[in-house]
Amino acid sequence: MSNEHRSESPRPFRPDIVAFFCNWCTYTAADLAGTSRMAYAPNVRIIRLMCSGRIDPQFVLAAFRQGADGVLIGGCHPGDCHYQEGNYKALRRYKLLRRLLKSMGIEEERLRLEWISASEGEKVKRVINEMTEELRRLGPLRLAPKPQARRTRLVPVAGGVP
Amino acid sequence: MSTHDALPNGKPRIGVYVCHCGVNIAGKIDIGVIIKSVESLPYVVCAREYKFMCSDPGQALIRKEIQELGLNRVVVASCSPLMHEPTFRRVLSEAGVNAYFFQMANIREHVSWVTTDGDAATDKAKALVAAAVRRVVLHEPLERRRVPVNPGVLVVGGGISGIHAALTLANSGKHVYLVERDPTIGGHMAQFDKTFPTLDCSACILTPKMTAVRTHPNITLLTYSEVESLEGYVGNFTARIRRKSRFVDESKCTGCGLCAEECPVTVPSEFDEGLGQRKAIYRPFPQAVPNTFTISHKGTPPCQAACPLHQNVQGYAALIARGKYREALDVILRDNPLPSVCGRICTHPCTAGCTRHRLDDPLNVPGLKRFVADWVGDYELPKPELERPERVALVGAGPAGLMCAYTLRQQGYRPIIFEALPVPGGMLAVGIPEFRLPQAVLRADIERILKTGIEIRLNRPVGKENTLEDLRRDYAAVFVGIGANVERRLSVPGEHLPGVWGGLDFLRQVNLGYSHTQLSKRVLVIGGGNSALDAARTARRCGAEDVTLVYRRTRTEMPADHAEIAAAEEEGVKLIFLTAPRAILGSEEVMGLVCQQMRLGEPDASGRPRPIPIEGSDFTLPCDAIIVTIGQTPDLHGLLERSSPLIARSGVISVDPLTLETNLPGVFAGGDCVTGPDVVVNAMAAGRKAAISIYRFVNGMDLREGREFEGPYRSSIEPDTAGFLVKKPVPMPALPVSQRQGFDEVHTGYTEALAQAEAARCLACATCCDCRLCSKVCEPRAVDYAMPDTYQDVNVGAIVLATGYKTFDPERLPIYGYGRYANVYTGLEVERLINASGPTGGEVVLRDGRTPQKVAIIHCVGSRDLNTNAYCSRVCCMYSLKLAHLIREHTGAEIYNFYIDMRTPGKGYEEFYDRLLDEGTHFIRGRVAEVTDWAITPEEEGRLVIRAEDTLIGVHRRIPVDMVVLAVGLEPQADTEDVRRTFNISCSKEGWFLERHPKLAPVSTFTDGIFVAGACQGPKDIPDCVAQAGAAAAEAMALVDRGHVELEPNTAFIAEALCSGCKTCIPLCPYSAIAFIAEKQTSEINEALCKGCGACVAACPSGAAQQHLYTDDQIYEEIKGVMAYV
Repeated sequence: MSNEHRSESPRPFRPDIVAFFCNWCTYTAADLAGTSRMAYAPNVRIIRLMCSGRIDPQFVLAAFRQGADGVLIGGCHPGDCHYQEGNYKALRRYKLLRRLLKSMGIEEERLRLEWISASEGEKVKRVINEMTEELRRLGPLRLAPKPQARRTRLVPVAGGVP
Repeated sequence: MSTHDALPNGKPRIGVYVCHCGVNIAGKIDIGVIIKSVESLPYVVCAREYKFMCSDPGQALIRKEIQELGLNRVVVASCSPLMHEPTFRRVLSEAGVNAYFFQMANIREHVSWVTTDGDAATDKAKALVAAAVRRVVLHEPLERRRVPVNPGVLVVGGGISGIHAALTLANSGKHVYLVERDPTIGGHMAQFDKTFPTLDCSACILTPKMTAVRTHPNITLLTYSEVESLEGYVGNFTARIRRKSRFVDESKCTGCGLCAEECPVTVPSEFDEGLGQRKAIYRPFPQAVPNTFTISHKGTPPCQAACPLHQNVQGYAALIARGKYREALDVILRDNPLPSVCGRICTHPCTAGCTRHRLDDPLNVPGLKRFVADWVGDYELPKPELERPERVALVGAGPAGLMCAYTLRQQGYRPIIFEALPVPGGMLAVGIPEFRLPQAVLRADIERILKTGIEIRLNRPVGKENTLEDLRRDYAAVFVGIGANVERRLSVPGEHLPGVWGGLDFLRQVNLGYSHTQLSKRVLVIGGGNSALDAARTARRCGAEDVTLVYRRTRTEMPADHAEIAAAEEEGVKLIFLTAPRAILGSEEVMGLVCQQMRLGEPDASGRPRPIPIEGSDFTLPCDAIIVTIGQTPDLHGLLERSSPLIARSGVISVDPLTLETNLPGVFAGGDCVTGPDVVVNAMAAGRKAAISIYRFVNGMDLREGREFEGPYRSSIEPDTAGFLVKKPVPMPALPVSQRQGFDEVHTGYTEALAQAEAARCLACATCCDCRLCSKVCEPRAVDYAMPDTYQDVNVGAIVLATGYKTFDPERLPIYGYGRYANVYTGLEVERLINASGPTGGEVVLRDGRTPQKVAIIHCVGSRDLNTNAYCSRVCCMYSLKLAHLIREHTGAEIYNFYIDMRTPGKGYEEFYDRLLDEGTHFIRGRVAEVTDWAITPEEEGRLVIRAEDTLIGVHRRIPVDMVVLAVGLEPQADTEDVRRTFNISCSKEGWFLERHPKLAPVSTFTDGIFVAGACQGPKDIPDCVAQAGAAAAEAMALVDRGHVELEPNTAFIAEALCSGCKTCIPLCPYSAIAFIAEKQTSEINEALCKGCGACVAACPSGAAQQHLYTDDQIYEEIKGVMAYV
């Protein structure tokens, strides 16, 4: 499950994207893409949250640490947030996080934020396809091996790091 | 893993259920592989597959295994949780496990339906199922929150859908607030003549329902109102409703209609699609509910805003156009007691704002004013309603002083005017020649003002005998309006010679009737203002044979009125430009003027190019007299007599521009003595402004408060000139030049017919012209021009949106000629033509009155076309058939239907189509290429030609017709986006409100408690609208009738032990649900207010803020899970 493990695979590089979608707009749009049978790249794994404002920057870092090559954040268009302004909070966290990622040596393009409303199934398809292509161009994300025996609050009940 | 064993309900025992969904999932994903991969995951006790997990046997399987295998957590991998999460949670509850020990993996919408490659889909599904399994381990038992529900329901939109929903709910005993933004309910259906396919009369089936709404005890009908904002959540909404002012009291109006008969303003009727007319005070149609009139008043028209006196030009223009001259004069007299004067010499700043500028030229506003003043002739000004004891002294009886005195008198004061000259009127009396403003006219206007009770003392200058200090002592307040009477001098040699006149002095002498003003042959007039032209034209009348005006810039820069320049030239005055005087020649009397040529340089402070002398260009103009008219300054000597410390700068009195108060309290000044030489209307405005200040001063009120809009301002109206024709102003009749030797007035004034024609050019920018005639005829006194918009908050538990649609604007498809050819109509327009209560009384006639012999109906205009709207509007085929039938019935015309496909699904619809086929209506399959008036054959001459392909016989056809009906499609309302945001719901990409599920929740939205009904959700016909309205009403009722709602327990909470009291979370909460508890030094979340967005959780630096159902740990496990098979 580490990056090393994957690079031994004989398959061509298949980027993996973790997507955090808000329940009201983007997750629904992804459902719409499904009901409309819009085929798109199979590389994305969608995690549902109530609001893009719920996205802790550590989720993004955790996804990269777990081997994601890219992270996609999807929220309601500005002004449309079900919770009034959660998407603005996501936006400012995203902007800072991009800078942080850059300073960590992770290409900014690996993190993407898109406003996708519930009716924009087509946009879900386009963004995921575009991002897959972009990551294919960037190649796999290679992080230094994780330091051992360091307890983090990521997995307080799991009793260790897998 | 031992920690997991100690979870609240013991060691996790997970059952995983993978749904085939027929072939929807199993056709793409290898279910066997999924099952196999799941079985090896920790804590998984069983992994099963089934064809339809959501079906009864599927649910029973889960229930059985929970009990038999002792499962305490369940994962279902199937469709979207937005679809069946509630179903499976219920299964858990039924089996005795807390519903929230459940997680769903969306392997249909997010995997099988969107992935082409089966292996990739299987991999992705494996990851999602693994994530769900890992996550569900950490789930906790949760309880749904119960909150009470307000039993009221808000219905937005009063068309047939809104009406039906409101009545259904009201009949069930719920209280309904029905909000409609138009003055009446009824919507589009009220405009229709008949309804397809039964040909029921639309009004006959609709109006009883409208009346039922009005009389229903459970319905609060709020028409002419809009929902401004919405707060709260399911069960407990608070809607703020703006009740737009209709300027008519709904509780008093009896709907008698006398007001509309009296109203002088006519505008196109929205209800008749612009084919008919309505008044500014109107009721859309006689059966309107409520049966209340409404005034459409858009604000202050641009002319009125631009006038320094804010005279109601639109008001008196409208009245003149309808022959109500006395009423027009009353409107003028509200703001202006000198109508005859202003009707002749006002420089009409109002016309600068006139909307007619966009088409042709502005109205001749002074000409209209003069007409009514002359026509009415003998009238009296209103007398004050009360008398006040305070006396106010005014210095100067010019327009500023007269206006100030009149305004004060109307407030009840007794002003007294001190005038230095032997006549009142100031510059009006002595500075304007008789042929522009006859003295008799001026005197009559002034007499009327004085007759209201104003004392005037002539030949009483303020100075040695009667000082400003004396006036301050003896009177409550003083107004100084002494004008500007000291002439500027040229300061060139020879100015003292006899034969050199000051322009004002010259005009004064002529006006006061001195006889020695007979002029010799050649006269030069120096200056470029109105006074210079007045002097030049007067000189002509005083015997001068050759009058030449000398001006140092060019014609473009002349400050004089262009009409006056033209008149002077007509009368033989010559103009010399770019010439400045250097010296006056002569020893005993004037012999000539030495001049210098000028050229134009950079603009100066006034914005006009600065004249620059050309060296060595001197030349001499021989002459016998010179009149110098280059401006005046006030004579302040008398006022400053005995050292009143009145401050003046640059020769004029300094005042506070907002209040016109001088440095001496209680002394106000205005007019030319403050501004330098200016026009009469500005002096009058200053007089009125000073009167307002004096009133406030005398009564000890704040002088400065709320005075921003006293001067000219920009109107907020954005008038639309579409549809108005170019119409040049009616020229003002004038004496022929040959008859202009004497001092007879040059302009003779409009005749009645001319005045009406000119007044009719007014575009009525504000719609209601504020003439206030309607209030005079309204017996119940329902009209209230001061009525403001009001706001009303209503508390409801559920909301039904039924905001309807708008029709497609066919001008977007120029090929069909709508707006270009008079005989191209929309379907809705033809509905009005056919309707017996429509603009033609049910006669289908063309705009020129002819009855059409051949009619073409073009289907799919704005529908099924990628250039406009891709969707089918569903109703057009049927309404086209209906119109075809009705037009034929009314006119016997031959009807051609041009269609792409006939879409007649519905009860009795196909039969109706068959009936039309039998009736002999022509049906031509093919999209119309264009509608043109370009005739080729004699038969096509004067007709509209339809060019279309007949795809059934494979030929191109040209069909000449008299009338074209465009079957326009349906579009979302123009402000859908605003409404969507107000109610926090979603729209489809076309702009229709998005239902929660197209099949299973067609009237619900993604926002709980808000339902949609009718065409705002998508195009539909009346039966479907009514059915959907009933459904929405039932859903709303199901919600509010239960008395409570259960809310998702996904609220945030603070783990007190971890909270450091940093308060980061507090400003993040949009609902102010987080409070800081000082005693504990921690934050606390009010669960009742929390909506569960999790913004605070994401920001908490110590991890103390957490969210039920979305804890950090659960999400981290999910992240790990989705990456498990990478």
